[in-house]
Order: sequence, then C-alpha cells, then structure tokens
Amino acid sequence: MTKASPKINLQDYPELHAFDLDESIAHIAHWLPTQGPIKDFIHHNTLHAVQHHPFHKGVAIAAKVFGARSYLPAADYQALYRQGRIKDFAVDWAIAHAGYGLEQHSALREKLFVVDSNEHYPPVSLANHGIRNSWLTHLEIDLNSQVHPVLFRLLANFLDQGISRWTLSKNGESFWNCVWRLAQNSLLPLYPFDDVVVRELLNQSPNEVILACLERIVGAEDLYEQYLLEMILAHPGWSGMVRLIELDPKSLLERRDISLKEMIAVEMLAELAILRKKRGAGFAAVAAMPDTDDIPLLHDYEDKAVVPLTLKIWHEAMEYSLHAELLAALKAQDAPAKPKAAPIAQAFFCIDDRECSLRRYLEELNPAIETFGAAGFFGIDFLYQGFDDAYPVAQCPNILTPKHLIMESNLKPETEKDDLAEGFSDLHIMPHSLFRGWLFTQILGMGYAARMLWDVFRPGSQLLKIKKLSEVEAHTHLHLLRENDEPDADGRLLGFSFTEMADKIEGLLRNIGLTKNFAALVVVVAHGSSSVNNPHFAAYDCGACSGKPGAPNARAFAWMANHASVREILRERGIDIPDNSYFVAALHNTSRDEITYFDKHLFAQYPAEALQAFQGTMRQALQKNALERCRWFELGPQSNAHDEAHEHVIARASSIFEPRPELNHSNNLYCVVGRRSLTRGLFLDRRSFLHSYDPGSDPDGKLIVKILSAIIPVCGGINLEYLFSRIDNSIYGAGTKLPHNVIGLLGVANGVEGDLRTGLPSQMIEVHEPARLLIVIEQTTALLDKAFANLGGPLRAWLDNDWVRLAACHPDNRGLFFYHSTGWEPVELPEDCAVPSANRSETIIVGQRATIPVHLLRSHA
Amino acid sequence: MNALLLACQFLPLLGFLTIALFGNTEKKIAALSFWTTHAMGLSIIVLLAIWAYSGFSAHEFEWFTLYERGSYRFPLLFFLDKVSAVYLFAVWVIFSVIVRYCRNYLHRESGYKRFFMTIFSFAFGLNMVVLSGSIDMLFAGWEIVGVSSFLLIAFYRHRIQPVRNALRAYTVYRFCDIGLLLGAWMGHLLFHESDHFSQLSLLFEHNASPASFPALLLMSLLIFIAASGKSAQFPFCFWLPRAMEGPTPSSAIFYGALSVHLGVFLLLRTSPIWSYHILTRTLLFGIGLLTVLIASFAEQTQSNIKGQVAYASITQVGFMFMELALGLETLVLVHFLGNAFLRCYQLLVSPSIVAHMLRVEGAIDTAIDTKKPSLQAYLPVSIRDTLPEVLQNTLYVFALQEGNLELLVRSILWTPLKQMGANINRANVWLKLAIGAGIIMVFMLAVLTGVMDFTYLAVPAVLAMVMASLSAFSQKHSFISIWNAVALSCLLAASAVWFLHPSDWSYILLFATGIIPSWLLGILVLGKLPKNENFRDSPFAYRAMAETNPGLSLLLFLSFLGLVGFPITPAFIGEDLLLYHASSHQHSWVAALIAVCFVINGIAAARVFLRICMGRPSEISEA
Repeated sequence: MTKASPKINLQDYPELHAFDLDESIAHIAHWLPTQGPIKDFIHHNTLHAVQHHPFHKGVAIAAKVFGARSYLPAADYQALYRQGRIKDFAVDWAIAHAGYGLEQHSALREKLFVVDSNEHYPPVSLANHGIRNSWLTHLEIDLNSQVHPVLFRLLANFLDQGISRWTLSKNGESFWNCVWRLAQNSLLPLYPFDDVVVRELLNQSPNEVILACLERIVGAEDLYEQYLLEMILAHPGWSGMVRLIELDPKSLLERRDISLKEMIAVEMLAELAILRKKRGAGFAAVAAMPDTDDIPLLHDYEDKAVVPLTLKIWHEAMEYSLHAELLAALKAQDAPAKPKAAPIAQAFFCIDDRECSLRRYLEELNPAIETFGAAGFFGIDFLYQGFDDAYPVAQCPNILTPKHLIMESNLKPETEKDDLAEGFSDLHIMPHSLFRGWLFTQILGMGYAARMLWDVFRPGSQLLKIKKLSEVEAHTHLHLLRENDEPDADGRLLGFSFTEMADKIEGLLRNIGLTKNFAALVVVVAHGSSSVNNPHFAAYDCGACSGKPGAPNARAFAWMANHASVREILRERGIDIPDNSYFVAALHNTSRDEITYFDKHLFAQYPAEALQAFQGTMRQALQKNALERCRWFELGPQSNAHDEAHEHVIARASSIFEPRPELNHSNNLYCVVGRRSLTRGLFLDRRSFLHSYDPGSDPDGKLIVKILSAIIPVCGGINLEYLFSRIDNSIYGAGTKLPHNVIGLLGVANGVEGDLRTGLPSQMIEVHEPARLLIVIEQTTALLDKAFANLGGPLRAWLDNDWVRLAACHPDNRGLFFYHSTGWEPVELPEDCAVPSANRSETIIVGQRATIPVHLLRSHA
Repeated sequence: MNALLLACQFLPLLGFLTIALFGNTEKKIAALSFWTTHAMGLSIIVLLAIWAYSGFSAHEFEWFTLYERGSYRFPLLFFLDKVSAVYLFAVWVIFSVIVRYCRNYLHRESGYKRFFMTIFSFAFGLNMVVLSGSIDMLFAGWEIVGVSSFLLIAFYRHRIQPVRNALRAYTVYRFCDIGLLLGAWMGHLLFHESDHFSQLSLLFEHNASPASFPALLLMSLLIFIAASGKSAQFPFCFWLPRAMEGPTPSSAIFYGALSVHLGVFLLLRTSPIWSYHILTRTLLFGIGLLTVLIASFAEQTQSNIKGQVAYASITQVGFMFMELALGLETLVLVHFLGNAFLRCYQLLVSPSIVAHMLRVEGAIDTAIDTKKPSLQAYLPVSIRDTLPEVLQNTLYVFALQEGNLELLVRSILWTPLKQMGANINRANVWLKLAIGAGIIMVFMLAVLTGVMDFTYLAVPAVLAMVMASLSAFSQKHSFISIWNAVALSCLLAASAVWFLHPSDWSYILLFATGIIPSWLLGILVLGKLPKNENFRDSPFAYRAMAETNPGLSLLLFLSFLGLVGFPITPAFIGEDLLLYHASSHQHSWVAALIAVCFVINGIAAARVFLRICMGRPSEISEA
C-alpha cells in the first residue's frame, strides 16, 4: 500500500525507511508553542525551537515553517531612518557586519532604500503551503473547518478547569479512553465517529489508529512526519497546550491525562471519518497527488529558508542605533563619583523595566535615597499560599523548582464576610438551576443595568469591588520559620530554617553588592499590577515570580532580614546589618502607581526615622511616574498635572472597557548589570532592566553567572516574546484582545470555535520597538570570559547565537566591548554621536509621543 | 411626539451618515457618535415621558405614503405602545453603554470607523423594527439588523472563521426571512388595508376570524419561523454562540442584549394572529420548551465563557416563548429587560472569568471546587449509582453536540438543495438549453392552441427560476456564473409574475430598476477582478478585496444589497409587490417559490461577496 513519493530518492535518506511514530512526534512537538494555562504567564522566547541556530537564520527557518514575517516592513525602517532614529553609522556598521566584501557595500546600501512592499511578507511555508494544504485544495474539501470544531470542543471540555458545569473527564481517564467512551458507549452517535470503519478503528490503540489513518490518508511513509507536522501546525495553540500538559501535568489545577499522541489519533480519525463522509471511501491519498515542485518538504525547508538580506541589515542597523544610544551615554558620563554620605534610605526594586523610572524619580527627588535592582523574587524561591488562596503558587522564576511552602494566616480574627453582598455581586458567574436562572434573570436583570451603567460611566469607583492579590491590605502573618523538618505529603518543607534564611538573604545582598553601609531604612519593593476584565492579568505581574505579584517575597525578605537570629548568622559571614537598620516590605502597583507597605503593625516595634520621609518622597515619585506613563496614552490627560495623570492611571486600571491597563514591558530594550552609579545619571525612558552588581565584589565571576542565569531567560524571554509578538502579531502573537473568548480557564481563543491564541495580544505590543535586548555588564572582559565558561550550554546559546546582545563596560575606564561568539569587539562610536542632556527628566518627556533616546541628567552629574 | 418618533428613528441614520462622511479620525468618530447617541437617548427619554404623560396609550403616526398603486400601499407608519416603549428603553440604556464602552475599548483598532458605522446602522434598523407600524416597515428594519449583524460577525475579516460564521448566521437569518417575507405577503392578502399593528387586535375583536383557519395557521407558522431564527430558538440555536466573533461589546449588544430578543418582539407585535388558537399557542410553547431543554443542557457543557452566556440567553428566550404562549405579555417584557441587561453585562465582563474563578471563587470559605458536580449529582439519588453509564454518555454527547441541531438543519434544508444544484451544474449547457427550449415550446404550443390559459406560461418561468437559484447556490468555481444565475432567477421571477398579470407593468419596472443596475454593477466589479488569479484552482480562498481595493469592494457590497432586495433600492418594494401580485392570483404557490428563491439567491450572493471581499490579502514573499 505504501509507496514512496516520486520526488525523494530513498537511498539518500536512509533514516526515512522506518517510520517511528514516537520519534516523529517528539520531533514535530518541538515546534509547538510552550505557553501554559493562562493563570500563570511565563514569558519565553517564542522561537525556542530554533534557538540552536544563529538569530537571523533561526528566524528565517521559523518563518519557513510557520509562515510568519521575520522583520518589520522595510518602509518602517526607512521611516525610522528619516526620523533620525536609525543613524548612518549604524547602517554602515550593519553592512560591515553582513559578511560581504567592501566593494559590495555601496551596492548594498543602495538596495536598502529601494521601496519593496512585499519583501517582508512571509515565505512559502510548511504550515500554509505544504503537502496537506495542496492536497486539500485538490480534493476541494475544507477539512480544518470540519475537524477543528469537533476536536477543539472535545479537548476544551476534557481539559476544562471550571467553566463548564459538567466535567467530562472521569476519575483520571485518559483523553483517548474518554473519546472512546463517548463514541462507543452512547446511544447518540458522536459526530463524526459514527462510521462503521471508524468505530472499528477506535477500538485499537492510538498508535495503531495513527498508523492506519496515515496509511490511508497519506499513503507514503516518507511524508508521514510532514503530514503530522502540518496537521498540528494548523492549530498550534491546542497542540502546544496538550504537549505542555503531557510533559508537565501539574501545570493544571485539575490534573488531566492527555498526550499529544492521543490528540493526533483523535484528529486523524476525525479526518478520516469526515473524508469518508464527504468524498466516499475511495478518496485520493496525499501521495497520489500530482507532483509539484514548489511545495516545501520536511527534508529541504531548512535549506530553502532564506534570510531577507536588506531587512536583516535594516534590523541590525536599528538595533545598533538604539543600543548605541545607551553605550554612548555610558561613555559620556563622568567617571564614577566618590561614594556620597550615608544614605537615609535604601530601596530594593525588581529589575523590571517598569521600575526604571520610579527609581529615577525617587533619587531625583531625594538624592539621599539609594536604590538597588534585583530579580523581583528577591532570591527567595518558595510556594506561597495566601490565607484565602485555594492552592499554592510558585513565587520564583520558572527555571527554579521551589522546595519550601509558605502559608499566610490572618492576624485579625476572621471577620464575618458579608455573604449576602458577596453572593449577589457574583451571581452572574455562578451556576443556577433552570428555575433559579429563570427567576434571577427576571428579578436581578434590572440591577445589572445599574451596575453596568456604573461600571461604564463611573469607572474607578466601583460599588462592589473584588480585591486583587496585589491590592490586598495586609494584616496577616507569613509562617516563615520552619517548626519541624518533616516534609509534607508533596515533599515540601513548611518554612525555612534560620540558616536557610541567612543563605537567601546573603545571596541577594552579595548579588547586588550591598554588604555594608546599610541605611537605617531598607525598603523592599515588590511589584504587581491590577487590572479588571483582563484574562492576561498574569502577564502584567512580576516576570521573576512567574507572573505573580512579588509581595510575599518582599515580605519574606523583610521579615528574615529583620530577624535577630538571621542577622547573627549573617554577621558571622561578614555581613553586618546594624541593629538600627530596619527592613520594610512594600508592593508597587505598576498599573495604578500606588504603593502598599506591609506589616504596618510592626512599624511601631522598630521605629524607623526615615520611613516618613521615604513615604512622602515615594508619593511624589509615583505621581511623576504616572505622568511619565501617561505620555503613551492617547486618551489620557493632555495636561501636565500630576494628580490628573494619577487619577487617569487609576481609572485605567479599574475600567472594564480598558484593554490597556498599562503598557507593560513595551519598548524594553536594555538590561544594565552594574552599580547604580553607571545609570543613575541617565534618562532611560523606562526601557531598561536594571540589576545591581558590584564588579569589585566578584573576583571569580561566580556572582555574574548567578545573575545571568536569571536575567537571560527572564529578561531575554520578555524581550523576545515582545519582539516576535510585535513582528507578526497574527502568527507569533495573540491578535487583538477584543474578540477573545476565555476557553476552559486555559487560554483565550477567537470566538467559540477558534484555536487557543498564544503570545501577546496586540494591545500589549503595538507601541513596542522590536529590538533585541542589550545586556551591559559592568565588568572586565577577561573576568567575563572566565565566567561564561561556567554558564550552562542553553544559556550560552542565547549569547553565542545572538538571541540577546551583550556588551561589557569596564568598571574603571568605561571601555565598551561587544560580545560575539568569536570574541570581544571594541565598541567604536563615531565622534559626532552626541548624547542629549537635560536638567530633569520631566523636561524631557514634555510633548513626546514616541520612544526617547537616552539622555544625560545634569542634576545627577 | 411625532417629531420625536422621527428623531428616534433617524438620529442613528444621521450618526451613520456623518461618521461615513466626516469620520476620518478616531477623535471625530468618537465625538460624532457621542453626540448622536445622546441626542437619540434624549429624544427617547422625552418621547417616553410624553407618552407616559398622555396616559400610556398606543400612538400611531403615518408620515407619508412611500408608494401607492391600485390596492397596494406602502406607508411609512410608526407605532408606539407598551411593547415598543419597553424595547426603546432597553435600546437607550444598552446602546449608550456600548457606545461609551467602545470609545476606549476599540481605541486604535483598525476598523474603528467600520465598527461605529455598523452599530449605528444596527441601531437604525432596530429602532425601525421597534417603532414600525406595519409588517412591511418591520421587515425593512429586520433586514438592516440582519445585514449589520452579518457585517459585525465578519468584523475580523482576516481570519476565515469569523467570515464563515457570519455566513452561517446570515444563512439562518435569510432562511427565516422567508417567514417574514411570506408573512408580509399574507398580511396584505388576509388583512388588506388593515395590516397595521394598531388594527390587528381590533380586527380579531370585531370579527372572530378575519381569515380562514388554515391561512392563519400558515401565517402563524411563518411568523414562528422568523422569530425562531432571529432569536436562535429551536431548531436554530446553533448559530448564536458561533456568532460571538466580533469585538466583545458587539457580541454583547447583538447576541446578548438586543438582536436576540427581536423574535420575541415580533411575536409580541403579531400576537393577535397566532394567539387566537390553542394549536398555535401549543406549538409556540413547544418551540420554547424544546429550546429550553436543549439549550440548558448545551449550556452545562460549554467550556468557553461566551458560549455559556449565549446558551443561557437562548434558554431565557425559550422561557419567554413559553410565557408568550401562556399569554403573560407583561411578564415577558420584564423578563426581556432582565435578560437583556444581565447578558449584556455578562458578556462585557466575560474576560474577567479567569480572575473570578481563580481568585474570588478560590477563596477558602467557598473552597475551590473545580470538581463540579458531575452528571450524577443531577440524577435522583435512587438511580444515581445504577443508571447505566451509557445514559450518562448519551446525555453528555447530546449536550456536547448541542442537540445536533446544526447537522439536522443542514441535512434537511441545505444539503438537498446543494445536491440538486450540483446536478444541475453538472449537466451540459446545451442539454439544459435544449430541455428548457423544449418545455417552453410545449407550453407555448399549449397556450397558443388554447389548451392552457396564458398564465400557465408562468410555470416554466418559475421552474427556470428555481433551477437558476439552485445552480447559483451550489456553484463553487465561478463567481460570474453565480452572479448571473442570481440575476437571472430574479428576472425570471418577475417574468413569471408578469405572465400571471400581463396587464400591469409598473411593479416589474420598479423591481427591475433595483435588480438590473445592481446586477450590472456587480458584473462590472467582477470583471475588474485581477485576471491572473485563477479562481478555479482555489475555490476556497478568500480574496480580501475589502483590503486591496476598498472602493470596488464597497461597490460589490452595494450591488449585493441591491440584488438581495435590501431596502436601499426600489427592489425592496418591488419584491413585496411581486409577491403581492403573485399571490392575488390563484397560483399562490408561485409566491412561495419566489420567496424561497429570493432566500437562496441571497445566500449565494452573500457567498460571492464574502469570498471576494473578505480574507487576508495573500502575502507571500517572492524572494
């Protein structure tokens, strides 16, 4: 029955002789997106599948597979050039790095300015122009539109986490058994599995079913894998979700037993059934198709992938221009100032780019405040269960697997909840019996008219308010200290021992280089974001906490660092926190620009003189920060009044009709790892992740390895997810938010029958300038070389294949070097590369509607 | 008061026109829509206040007669009573909320202008339905609502799925238009001059039955079909959840709040016609009951939030049908308001469901219970453990497939038509011509020799019309032939009626003045399509002309509207007249067939429009 397609000479491809289903599935599955259920949002490189290739090559291969764009349209780059954001020297640099001889440079340069409106279009791809599509066109049947609704309904109902009233899955049965049960053991036929042949097949194992279907539908073993890949790429969202759940069942609260193979078996069987219904048993197989040459095949798509040269040069030129803005500013600064007088307060922030401007304002307003940046889980990884949370969540980057569980308990006696009000406010999401539904609709409908009017015309002043995690007033206590060493049923330890606490605190303090000169007040500021009517809320919270607000970590940090026993151990290890130093935890709400201080009941215990002053400065800084953010909001206030801006951002975060509560990491571009003195005098336009690091305290490069292994996946992941979602929002991104429909609490889809959408919605990325992250490390190249040798292989791939850019900044003379896998290249910026400067940040932002180049702030100089 | 009525009716049209003409920036569109919405709101409030002040009495207003010939009149007639007042109130609240909501929600969305134009045309059609004084006016509004709904479902025209679902909804709408089209015709036939809503109840009071029982039964059935389709009742439940493809607020206003209750409105308006007999009431009750059963089961297994709200809404509308059958009209009005506001709110906040389920419901005192009671919990205790699994599975499959209504409707209504059409298309052209000529010869001969009356010449014309429609319906490869077949079918319908009434030309002229220009315009546009694209090779591709050539696409849209008798050309009245004349003869079956053909033509023409104008421009890098 099987016959080879005439195009391939089997002798050349010995591996094709035997088709191994498991191997093939493992092969094709690495193309699937790895975005988990929507309750957690972990940013990652959208194109992780090609990360082992150099950036441009990888992007081109991905384009060949997915049918996506690789860069912005040439016209966009040309416009940036005309606006002066892409500089001539950067174009020259990009051309010089394109790998062509000098004599071709001017020809290349000319080519850049040719107007070509279709070069940026996606290439002929496996997903859109493969064997399956041309076969379906040949058969004149729209198979996807018939099979997908059936498959998606079965998957959604099987995996559903709580929207559906009836649960499909029974006692942990597998997806295949579940479909079998519905198809074979029901009086009503399960469409389309009601055909005799198909029902017969259903009794076999998924393996046998897939092979039988492939034989009938495809008919040539060498095309099996490609057919399967094209089939699952027609709905990458669901395929990816299934694969992710198969590999990590605990990503679901309600565990489900499913595998990609089972999904493929059900889909292939449904295809066979529909084909038999529509085209009879004798339909033509894929292998019987007339031979056409332009169909990309699995064995040659990599060779056929072409990097569009001019776009690549433009893109590199844009990146180099933008990166040069920072590098020039770093060089232009005066040598590091002498350490100032002891600060009155120190504040720890997350490295998050959204904290960049808040730190600037704090220091601008009160130069006696010193700020530090660290990954927002503050070095303490644990599972956290708030006192009204149903399940514990991991409060750390997803590369770590926490072993400790921290529970929260209420300090106040349990206040009686207003059950009646609570009940009424949520009636519209609760299940009702038929009769009650009828009654409630009649009686309460009018009430909802009032509520709707209130929500729409007076946002921000809701009557019945649901508190979000990040807004919760804290009068609770964290059980941080472990009372016994018995792990619980899941193998987790309840709390930390003093030694472990000291380890964590020491780790963070050494990372950021703060081991002496503690101020009397140290504020640990976590961040979270509140928004309403937003299924992607997790993407708005702290990326270093796997999409959760970092409040528990800040509280844990402050409690541990305040504890006498912990300080005792730290003192033995050479970190002497004076007795009059006091740590306070706080949470910055990045959408509302508000701050909550935790554990206020402890303030009286340790009087902190600077707290009042700090809080006052913080209030002002938040208002300024709100104003700076408002410049991006076209519908925001046009005046420069701080209160108006602040009111606006609050209304934004609490309006049910606002698809952009904030713009998150839009325009993230830099990541600076070094002392604050490096960036303190710079206006970075909220574009930089900032991690504190003291080059002097890291003689053997151990600290920088630790820092990079957190920064590269977290910041790099954020950066690339924004980049690819911006470059092709319909393939790599989630499209517009407006028609999204929440499916099974797993993800969003367009409409009722759509595929799950992965990536970021257009409202999050529309103003993003898609450029790769530039990591600048304040350290010598020699030490970095030593450190990179200890960096794990996957992380090295990020650097060596240019998925992030890296530069070293010499701690003493600020000499700059670009990292390449081949070695360090000194950064030579032209003389005329002047860095603009201003007195205060507020004068820079006036009237600006786009990204602003890096400025020097004279007030700090 | 009359001026206010007109203001309520025409302010949305003014909004539509001003946005179309002057709305070139988002800011301007927002300002225009803000002012027209509030002006309309104000006129509604003042109108309702005056109406309440004058004692809640029904008010009728005849503006002028649009067309009059012989015994046929088409007046612009407005009617305000308790029912329209309640609907008008709901329109005011929900429309103002949605316009305010969309100001920010659609910010920076491509298609901002398109969206606001469509919802204003929707409001225009809606107010026309609500304020109409006769079934003709109501039909005009009904069509406008249908087309704007079709456009909003296909709002995201880049993706195929919304476009397909738009066609699905339009198909159901169009089918149910048979009900209204024939209903309007029967209205003329049975009640003559007195088909005003204001006079319907009087008609039945004074004279126990103004028409024969079978005629009224038929008319009730037609009205039920129209109402069920628009309100997604049995057996048409399936289209509503799938119509949730546009931006969330448009789903909220159409399928949550207003459009879905228009069937109820139609029933309230025409209640004297169908409520006189226990049989029709029982039938209506049955439709409601079946809907409630199927939709409430289907709701249990919806794993997506919008589908769940859609089925909850369908269930409540089913209850309303039952309440109507029981004669509880006031309750229905209360129920309508409650359901409209609740579903609108639920849809608007549907993205919140993740936060709600995981953060609020997850609170410890309610103990997250994603293990929802399984099917068993719904069963009586005594058989809970003994009820065979097979019954549970059966029930689940039933709910999962939403009662299999879509397959049912498709296999009964569309598949046979498609197959017939495919057979016709497969036949040789010359063969068809020969057979056609043969039949005409036979009839001509019969007429000439006096065996048959001249009017019998209508028979071959009608047959040819049906063939043309079916051929258009199942044609996949050539847009031009679909277009020609649709126009041919319309013209054959006109000639068939002319054979029945050779004395009167005028209405055929009226009809033709709408159809022929639209047809020619369509041909012109189709002729301008790029020749290098081979339509035969990829019959399923969408060609995205709305993007690549918006001007031509608009022309094609207008010609599509003209060809299907949308109330922008005289063909709308012509269509009505055609049916009126066809039926005033003894061959009233001709009218039925013509109506069916108009419906099929509409679907075929809509498909041409979608295939050519929607979709994503094919973007392939040649490099």
